[in-house]
Amino acid sequence: MSLELLYASRAAQPDGIAVVHRDDRISHRELVELVELVAAGLAGRGIAPGDAVALLLPNNLEFVLCFHAVSALGAVLVPLNPQFKQEELEFCFRRCEVKAVITDDRCAGVCERISSSMDWPVDVITTRPAHPHMVTLEGLMSEHGAAPLAPRPADDVFVYQFSSGSTGRPKRVARTHANVRAEARTYATSMGITSADGVFCVVPLFHTYGMGCCLLSTAQTGATLVMLEDPNPFLLKRHRALDLLEQEQPTIFPGVPFSFRVLAEAPRDADLSSIRLCFSAGTALPRSTFDAFLDRFGIPVRQLYGCTEAGTLTANLDGDPVDTFASVGKPVSGVGVRILDDLGEPVPTGSIGELAVSSPALTAGYLDTAELTAEAFRDGEFITGDLGMVDDEGRVFLTGRKKLLIDVGGYKVDPIEVEDVVLSHPGVDEAVVVGVAGDNPGEELVKAVVVVTDNSDSREIIRFCRERLANYKVPHVVEFREEIPKSPMGKVLRKYLI
Amino acid sequence: MSPVAAAIQRFILAELTPGRYVKSVGYEDDLLNLGIVDSHGIIELVSYLESEFEISIDDEDLTPENFASIASIERFLAGQTATDAGLG
Repeated sequence: MSLELLYASRAAQPDGIAVVHRDDRISHRELVELVELVAAGLAGRGIAPGDAVALLLPNNLEFVLCFHAVSALGAVLVPLNPQFKQEELEFCFRRCEVKAVITDDRCAGVCERISSSMDWPVDVITTRPAHPHMVTLEGLMSEHGAAPLAPRPADDVFVYQFSSGSTGRPKRVARTHANVRAEARTYATSMGITSADGVFCVVPLFHTYGMGCCLLSTAQTGATLVMLEDPNPFLLKRHRALDLLEQEQPTIFPGVPFSFRVLAEAPRDADLSSIRLCFSAGTALPRSTFDAFLDRFGIPVRQLYGCTEAGTLTANLDGDPVDTFASVGKPVSGVGVRILDDLGEPVPTGSIGELAVSSPALTAGYLDTAELTAEAFRDGEFITGDLGMVDDEGRVFLTGRKKLLIDVGGYKVDPIEVEDVVLSHPGVDEAVVVGVAGDNPGEELVKAVVVVTDNSDSREIIRFCRERLANYKVPHVVEFREEIPKSPMGKVLRKYLI
Repeated sequence: MSPVAAAIQRFILAELTPGRYVKSVGYEDDLLNLGIVDSHGIIELVSYLESEFEISIDDEDLTPENFASIASIERFLAGQTATDAGLG
């Protein structure tokens, strides 16, 4: 889907800048050529339509090239979080039947270990070789010439992503070329994005938010993607972020509350007057962060709401972004939002209920669990598990979650997944994982409450989790109890553990 | 390696590398490019340095240059303790 958009941008403005990354300013003409070279190299390695190809990369130019090249071949993208540990990656590789993974020297070793344990060969391709024997992206690009590729059928699967769930491991979501095409179109239309815009990219591209609001929106419109190279840890990169914002003058800045708070508290000033839209998503935007960014830079941060299953759903484009800051806005073009009660009936305007959404960008369901698909997808709508209301003007306000998910800086942590890991510790007899308030406004932390059978201390349990879980899922606090409070029916009483 | 650098190395290996399959961290190794100091790691590292070396790290000192390697952290700490001594 995405390559045909790149072809259109090349035809319209061949020398316009498509991507800014470090010292590179890649034109639309150059971007197409580089993507075609990567695609030719991958095809030469035997990657064919329908094959799953994992991208395990930080935000960088190689991610952009591989993203477009894999989809142009008709292979299925599997963008994964580079923070994932071996067990998490192996789960994703197996679920998606990954045939190749493109990664860097940080993760190449673990990918090779996973590859050696699989029942099928997994091609490990690196952008920076960790060992001389490894296949490099640069090497692949030099093996074949660039050649145009035909558009893919709309119903082909474009991407596999994993959605946090209320039970067990993350659920696999497949979205088709038609789904992501619809998302790119509706988002760009709603935001009025044109080739004159620049999108400042600090959110991870492996995540739905970065994929939709940065990669797809710029591909759709020919706007410039201004990348903060590997923005993790953002706390140390804020000076570079401010430099880039002043030098490149992007007009749209999708971030998370943490990005805006860190920039608002930066020791140096910056002129950010080029920005016309700042979006915050992933977790609720605290009023203090909104005020701090507005006071510092004169820009109101607008909330945006989306999900892995459907991409962007709503965005606050209100004429009065200050008074309406708490709203995630109205549905973007083509999206429907209804608020339902426990029986699945619509509630009156202003009443709180569960959000049900419809969108041309919505996946058909979860791939590996018919039961959860039946629960969450009804009559063309996705039942989000998020609680909220709609006001008289049609603005959506989020008020909470029906699911158990813990929101750690915008990452959704499934407590059941963490409990499974804590319970696998040999000294833990019982474990319940809950979210607790952190020190900063809106911050949520992971807490494990455990009953142990030996002398294991919190340091040992946290270390055990660190070896198996991405850092954002690891409990910040371990609380020891004699027993876990339960109802007479044996249900864990989580409210007594928070 | 100095005792200060060795202490930082021990902390990194004990707290920031589990699950990352990092067997050793050299004095000049790039902690950022290796992904050892990520968004969570920097918070833990700063907290450790502040408590272990009894210093307060200002916002303006949170730069890639100061936290790129054990060597740069050690240099930064030396500057901090010299400043603190001067103020004291």
